[in-house]
Amino acid sequence: MASVWTLQFRSLSLRPCSFISSTSNGSIITTRNRIVIRNGISKWRSRTQQLKHDSINSISKFYHQLVNSVTIPSFLLNRSGGSNFPIWVCVALVVLVGVFRVVSRKKERPGSVADLVRRGQLKSDRRGISRPLKYEDPFNNPFVKVGKSNSTVEMCGKVYRLAPVTLTEEQQATHQRRRSRAYQWKRPTIFLREGDSVPPDVDPDTVRWIPANHPFATTATDLDEDLAQNNVYQKHGVPFRIQAEHEALQKKLEALQNDQKLNKLAIDPINAKEFERPFNSHARLNEQAEKSTEQKINKLVIDPINAKEIERPFNSHTRLNDQAQKSSVDNQVSDPDSPNIDSDLNHFESTSSEDPTL
Amino acid sequence: MPPLHILPGATLFPNPLPRHPSKTLTPKPRPPSALLQWNRKPELSGTTPRVTVITSGKGGVGKTTTTANIGLSLARFGFSVVAIDADVGLRNLDLLLGLENRVNYTVIEVLNGDCRLDQALVRDKRWSNFELLCISKPRSKLPLGFGGKALTWLVDALKARPGGSPDFILIDCPAGIDAGFITAITPANEAVLITTPDITSLRDADRVTGLLECDGIRDIKMVVNRVRTDMIKGEDMMSVLDVQEMLGLPLLGVIPEDSEVIRSTNRGYPLVLNKPPTLAGLAFEQAAWRLVEQDSMQAVVVEEQPKRGFFSFFGG
Repeated sequence: MASVWTLQFRSLSLRPCSFISSTSNGSIITTRNRIVIRNGISKWRSRTQQLKHDSINSISKFYHQLVNSVTIPSFLLNRSGGSNFPIWVCVALVVLVGVFRVVSRKKERPGSVADLVRRGQLKSDRRGISRPLKYEDPFNNPFVKVGKSNSTVEMCGKVYRLAPVTLTEEQQATHQRRRSRAYQWKRPTIFLREGDSVPPDVDPDTVRWIPANHPFATTATDLDEDLAQNNVYQKHGVPFRIQAEHEALQKKLEALQNDQKLNKLAIDPINAKEFERPFNSHARLNEQAEKSTEQKINKLVIDPINAKEIERPFNSHTRLNDQAQKSSVDNQVSDPDSPNIDSDLNHFESTSSEDPTL
Repeated sequence: MPPLHILPGATLFPNPLPRHPSKTLTPKPRPPSALLQWNRKPELSGTTPRVTVITSGKGGVGKTTTTANIGLSLARFGFSVVAIDADVGLRNLDLLLGLENRVNYTVIEVLNGDCRLDQALVRDKRWSNFELLCISKPRSKLPLGFGGKALTWLVDALKARPGGSPDFILIDCPAGIDAGFITAITPANEAVLITTPDITSLRDADRVTGLLECDGIRDIKMVVNRVRTDMIKGEDMMSVLDVQEMLGLPLLGVIPEDSEVIRSTNRGYPLVLNKPPTLAGLAFEQAAWRLVEQDSMQAVVVEEQPKRGFFSFFGG
């Protein structure tokens, strides 16, 4: 049906073009162009109406022909006369097929390997998804049969003649002696790059010279031998390098967090009094606070016993900092004679006031 | 009366052809119950783990294919196997086993401390008692300062691992007698020499055998690979017995030339898992069996026997 419509529309689209082209050919005089175009449009409209009518007629004709051409089975025509047995058989068959398909699809669970194979995502005959073979004796199975006389063997449908091996132990020993004479060899125990000097306590026969640009081998290594051995023997836990990298990252993170906190502290309005102090004392305070926190952090990172403390929230460090600063301030308050701050403060003020240059 | 190669412990030649009148290899006594018994299993001999290096000297003779197939055969027999790909620059064992997408960590990462050894072992999903360990990634360099030592540490660590020591540690050796070879043979107690019946391969094999013997590895058996009986019959190829005469090594297996080898290599699915089994797959299985029992072949396949049918009279 759709094809019929598309055919009609194709013909429709072509018609106006031919009409316009005919006008452009100069069959109608150019002074009456507008009238000609109007007439053309009206004609085109009437033609499209006609075409539409014709197409509907043709489709209805085609439908009638189609209906008439299909032969209806005789048992359907004379329903009243015969029995409905064949129809019911057909219906039952359809239902059975449907049920069978549903059941078979249920067996292939979606996402299972069988399902993936069915959908073409996996190949059934490879990559570990095929069913492994059952064990069979390689010397006695349907593919390997020894003849009754033991001089023949049948393998994969072909019969082969057998010949006995005649190598003797004596011959073997002779070959070994020959080889020991021919090939004097010591396994190299030291690998040196070409151009390196041989160490004094090393047998030159056991040195293997490796070109500097050897594609697969290198004599240079940045790895400690004992460490490598320990790495190989490690059975449980986090591998060495992963742990080292993790610790380094954690240290870096802690340091970053610490810096951020200190910056925050500097802006904190509660600690505004601190800013009134002379420069030197404030610097010392900061240093002390930093030192104390760093010590704490180092302790936290290195000492695995204090693993819980590593998981402390970010604020805990601010508390640490606050505590450190508070303690220093408290000390200063409680000890009025403390030489550090007051004397410095005083000294700073006195110097500033007494400075003749200012 | 030497036993037949094809059936360890099976009945013998009534009168073996004595090419050399000297003393023949004494066959191991076998329990009669094992004779032609369906689904019998090989008896493991020697102390575990058996550390076996698979080497050849010449490249392209089938070291990696043999490692993959014998390794998986051993796993099928029920033994736990660790296959180490010691080919530093040109590793391929992972491809042959179809495990290339699962190799994330190698021995280099283990040495560096980026992962533990158990994390670098890739367990095969088909046979869970088979594990693969790669020495390094293709573009990385192995520090040779402790290359051999590293493999010895690995073997020791595998022996002492919590899951128990593996029965077999197969080391796939790189071609040549360079640093990679030295690294690969360091922890080995026994060797399987792969050779093809051509003179280039035989010369390299002889040299490598000499080096192994100098290093103290005395238990060396050979596998003759890519044997074509039709060419042997036409005297265009050395027979297996000729090869043995030249090298003087006991035979672990004879692998016929088989186009299925290339197919299985490309699929990443070792021959021994093929169903129905192929000729080469069966030969690999038999070689694995002998490796377990520390046995060697007592008779070899010489040529295909002509069929005697109705049309044979007419040359058909």
